[in-house]
Amino acid sequence: MSVVTKIKDNKPEPVAYSEAALRNNAAVVEYCRTSMAALSGSTAGVLGLTGLYGFAFYVIAVVVLWLMFMMKAGSNWHKYYVSRQSLLTNGFLGALFTYVLFWTFIYGMVHVY
Amino acid sequence: MAELLLDPNIRLWVFLPIVIITFLVGIVRHYVSLILSSQKKIEIIQVQDSQVMIRSRLLRENGKYLPRQSFAMRRHWFNNEETGYFKVQKRAATSQNPMTDPGMMTDMLKGNLTNVLPMIVIGGWINWMFSGFLTTKVPFPLTLRFKPMLQRGVELAYLDASWVSSASWYFLNVFGLRTIYALVLGENNAADQSKIMQEQMSGAAMAMPPDPKAAFKAEWEALEITEHKWALANVENEITAMES
Amino acid sequence: MSYNYEDMTVNEIKDLLRQWRESNERRSEDVMEFWMAIMEDLDKFGNEKYVLLEQVIYAALDTHQYGIASMCIVILHEKFPGSMRIARFRAMLCEAKEKYDEALEILEEIIKADETNSAARKRRVAILKAQGLIPEAIKELVDYLKKFMSDVEAWQELCTLYQQVGEYSRAAFCAEELILHQPHNHLIHQLLADIRYTMGGVENMELAKSYYCQALKLNPDNMRALLGLFLVTNNLLNHYKSSGNSGKRKDVWRLCQWAQSSAAASQRNSQVPLTQMMLNLAITD
Repeated sequence: MSVVTKIKDNKPEPVAYSEAALRNNAAVVEYCRTSMAALSGSTAGVLGLTGLYGFAFYVIAVVVLWLMFMMKAGSNWHKYYVSRQSLLTNGFLGALFTYVLFWTFIYGMVHVY
Repeated sequence: MAELLLDPNIRLWVFLPIVIITFLVGIVRHYVSLILSSQKKIEIIQVQDSQVMIRSRLLRENGKYLPRQSFAMRRHWFNNEETGYFKVQKRAATSQNPMTDPGMMTDMLKGNLTNVLPMIVIGGWINWMFSGFLTTKVPFPLTLRFKPMLQRGVELAYLDASWVSSASWYFLNVFGLRTIYALVLGENNAADQSKIMQEQMSGAAMAMPPDPKAAFKAEWEALEITEHKWALANVENEITAMES
Repeated sequence: MSYNYEDMTVNEIKDLLRQWRESNERRSEDVMEFWMAIMEDLDKFGNEKYVLLEQVIYAALDTHQYGIASMCIVILHEKFPGSMRIARFRAMLCEAKEKYDEALEILEEIIKADETNSAARKRRVAILKAQGLIPEAIKELVDYLKKFMSDVEAWQELCTLYQQVGEYSRAAFCAEELILHQPHNHLIHQLLADIRYTMGGVENMELAKSYYCQALKLNPDNMRALLGLFLVTNNLLNHYKSSGNSGKRKDVWRLCQWAQSSAAASQRNSQVPLTQMMLNLAITD
């Protein structure tokens, strides 16, 4: 039995969240996000994007990943996530670091020398 | 902006090796810390303390599901002036000086051994081995402020700030590869130290308060001011209304 | 349900066993059948081998195949000599063979070596319970709970033991403790309501009513809670009728009617005329 901790207290029907499930979902999302950052960073490096184009590409990749989450979750997304916005914004900067590293790495490998 | 041409040998013998070395060192560190980590011996009194704290917290949070009398009875048991648990249990304030505790000392030593030491040794070695190379260029323009950060070991005043020196490339890798370790080694790995620090030990029954005396006092206060509000007072009406 | 274990590959068996382990399914007889099939290629399991052996030990003890259990224990003991966990299995083997004194001795040693070993302490309670020494088991369990106060399983067991010896107010205390730990489990609310109803008296009936309602709120399909609510309201109606508290009587009457109608609604398609039975149970008209 999973431990229920967070309770949203809107009066008619209190919603109970399973903490284990929440943590598992967060871990899966984190996994996807890191993979996305690494892959899109490599892509940007191979394409030789520089400056703002590279960052725009990152934003696009994040939004695409979010759309993919939404498609996967379908209409009953609230069964899996507490809020859709936080799914988009959480870990934006953390993944950006990974993205920049991969971008720089592949860009250096392909275009600098 | 003067375009520089770098020797492709730098790519093969400096740029790539740094990435690979940093990555592999992270992996090795994970396994070394697995070997070194010792199961902490827990005193029964610590277990008892932590479980009492959990029970008291649950009473504060979920006490509304109990009748007033039951709630008051439990609070009395915890908080009563003469016989309350938080009043009677006298815990010596644990010494804050870790040097007095040999177990703590070895733990600290092991932590240093797996975290700080490789960082210094490998960093120093890379600095010595690959000193003075420009390795790559970040694909976006940067201001002059970033020069000391990205061009450590290369003191050229007129060089564009986007160029990265070998030592700085190493540090970029150390910080940037963290999320990759999570991918490769799984969650909660030892290579990813900063995450563990951030993460609150949530709900772990064995997590003990570092100073039981202060924790008891805080819990006593929190429990003292908890108001009892019977959550089931109106449940009959709610349930009949729900159906119709 | 039995599996055609001869047709399954080792990997399929492995996955199935893991699934049972993770969802806490005991399935001892099935596990033993699989054990016969996979005994030869135990080495294919890698690190999972030892967890699997533990699962087999439990299953073997359940099905009284002590030879297999002791063989598994020997394998584990060779791999991990001096492990507390394996010592506990040895104690369980003695326990299953009804050599209670021997089992207690082993457990005593484990606890002496590691004071925080809660599993060994709980096994001691189980041994006392198996011998039928309920008061001693209660005493041991209370001692245990003084140390490990937020062990939900132990509170539940203590609640059951108190119910066995008829100490309902203490059982109610344990049930309340369970509610503190799992306030969203409707079965615990129903359990506490059952205990309160058994204790009797107007105050307890009122509490039972509240908790039955809470159980129904958390799970509207809880038939037992619905029936309990019906009985409680009937009882209360009787009381308020004689004491002449008309306001409360009206509320309870409404609740009683509601319980009856929703029971009827959910049982509409079944063969048993439950409403009729409920009316027969009812004391008042």
